[in-house]
Amino acid sequence: MEIMRVKDELVCTRRVEGLKAASLRVLESQAGKLLVATDPVGAPIGKWVITTSGSAARLAMPDVKIMTDLTICGIIDNWSE
Amino acid sequence: MRIMRVEKTLVSTNRIREMGHRPLLVVRDKAGGTPSVAVDAIGCIPGDWVICVGSSAAREAAGSKDFPSDLTIVGIIDQWDEEKNG
Repeated sequence: MEIMRVKDELVCTRRVEGLKAASLRVLESQAGKLLVATDPVGAPIGKWVITTSGSAARLAMPDVKIMTDLTICGIIDNWSE
Repeated sequence: MRIMRVEKTLVSTNRIREMGHRPLLVVRDKAGGTPSVAVDAIGCIPGDWVICVGSSAAREAAGSKDFPSDLTIVGIIDQWDEEKNG
């Protein structure tokens, strides 16, 4: 799993049916890359979170049919980088 | 599989239900490398050199086929010298 920071929320009304109503977050990785992840936890902006990728990302969502490859698994209590 | 070093325990009380209470550890492949998070299936202490596995094997090693992990510690290396083999 990777450690990333929630940069912003992402509103995307026109999406494939497979994304259903998953809430999306823009995340910034340690290397500075911007990525979009689905968020079952409801992480607020600015928080450091743990993400899982690949097929494990789909299993992290309550509904495994949601087509994601990056999901937020948890909010880190405190992280100093 | 990758050789990484355990740095410290990662505390995340607000996490998804599927993750349960499995311990999470911060691991790095080299001293200044970017940190990753791995599920601890063995019981490591900070400073251990460990073997980490990814993809679907990580899920099975962490407990069950549908455990949402993409990096799990599967072994503690008995003896590893970073400079010599680095």
